[in-house]
Amino acid sequence: MEQVYQFFINLFNALAAELQYAKVLMPSLMQGLIVTLKIFILTLVMSLPLGLPFALGSNSRRVIIRIPCRVYIWLFRGTPLMLQLFFFYFFLPIVTGIKLDGFTTAVFTFVLNYAAYFAEIYRGGIESIDRGQYEAAQSLGLSRTQTLFGIIIPQMIKRVLPPISNETITLVKDTALVSVIAVGELIRVARGAVNRDVKVTAFVIAAIIYLILTFVLTLLSNHLEKRFSRHEAQ
Amino acid sequence: MGAENTVNNNEYVLQMHNIVKEFGELKALDDVSLSVKQGETVAIIGPSGSGKSTLLRCVNRLVTISSGQILLSGEELARTDSQGRVIYPPESKMRKLCANTGMVFQHFNLFPHMNCLQNISYAPIKVKGVEPAKARERARELLKLVGLSDKEKVYPGQISGGQKQRIAIARGLAMEPQIMLFDEPTSALDPEITGEVLAVIRRLAEQKTTMLIVTHEMGFAREVADRVVFMDNGMIIEEGPPEQIFNNPKCERLQSFLSAVLS
Repeated sequence: MEQVYQFFINLFNALAAELQYAKVLMPSLMQGLIVTLKIFILTLVMSLPLGLPFALGSNSRRVIIRIPCRVYIWLFRGTPLMLQLFFFYFFLPIVTGIKLDGFTTAVFTFVLNYAAYFAEIYRGGIESIDRGQYEAAQSLGLSRTQTLFGIIIPQMIKRVLPPISNETITLVKDTALVSVIAVGELIRVARGAVNRDVKVTAFVIAAIIYLILTFVLTLLSNHLEKRFSRHEAQ
Repeated sequence: MGAENTVNNNEYVLQMHNIVKEFGELKALDDVSLSVKQGETVAIIGPSGSGKSTLLRCVNRLVTISSGQILLSGEELARTDSQGRVIYPPESKMRKLCANTGMVFQHFNLFPHMNCLQNISYAPIKVKGVEPAKARERARELLKLVGLSDKEKVYPGQISGGQKQRIAIARGLAMEPQIMLFDEPTSALDPEITGEVLAVIRRLAEQKTTMLIVTHEMGFAREVADRVVFMDNGMIIEEGPPEQIFNNPKCERLQSFLSAVLS
């Protein structure tokens, strides 16, 4: 009985010490989190719209437009994101002489990478729209542009929401990759603390933060999907 | 057939001369000529694969012809030049011409992201530049015409097939077309609700709306059409007033077709 009691005392003390330590870690982790969120939001805001012209371009009847769009999508989906980061961070400055800082390079690379993924998702969404919709639009005299923006894209958005939110969750976790080009986001800060203090607490906290972020994103996407399907049959 | 029709006769809303449509090896339409007068209701009947729908879809260029000539209210939509090439007018001109036709599809093809009122008023606003308030007012009149005034704010996903098709008819009428094209408007509907759609089309016929209807409903064709056209193998085999076609069919193929569908 005495031993069990002692065990809980020790456990409690250990937890209290961990919490104390975590409190010390928090300010720097929060700074890392802010960098992570900045990359995440900037990437999302720019790559979501950028994917659309590439999606349309990769379905264009004109070869001059179609081939470059497809090559771009192929390159960015076909190589590791980390390699792309290295390329733009280390190699591009040698060739062009333009040296961007780590953060800008990270956002730049992520936008290009994610726009390629979004382009493919949009393309699939557009292709899934029934031919009858185009026929109805044509029979009413709507132009190609009116058909695309008034009829096709609004329906496409609803269909691509699930894969888009999937990619969005992947993006949150992918931001961890930018630590390889010395951007002080959450993982890099956490690893610094782990190496310095020889304690994994920082990683545990980072994991919890990622879980909270992805949980919030899941709620958000569920909400959006519900909103967009409110016109469905019962 | 159609030989007595003179080109540029404004009495004709639609004139199709010597239409050929080839899908690769297959001749879907083989030298078909068909004209529709102002206020006339023409029904096209025939077995599946006879080219009825293809012919209808040539009228608003959902299908491009391989040769022949099409005139809408005397204006040329398609012609064949001396080298046998089919010439359509430029995109914007063609859109304007085709907007003079309204089409009702077998599978409705309503816009699922718009409510019924928006479905009807969208094209008049975007294509004709009608003031939104006016377009909505007109859409409400059309909803009343098809008996669905209470469905204004409802989305297509929430109504029955028969109601969808009535909305689709209203959508076509909203552009104030000179001719309404119906592509098997009741084929995708349950038998017990085809009546409500047919009733709307019947009312349009009474109002002398010019209509070209591809249908499998023989009773309806007989009752509502001024003229019935029988097609088989991409050709018009026989045409005439419904009494003649249904009571006194001349050619054997029509006789066997009628005995098959009416038995």
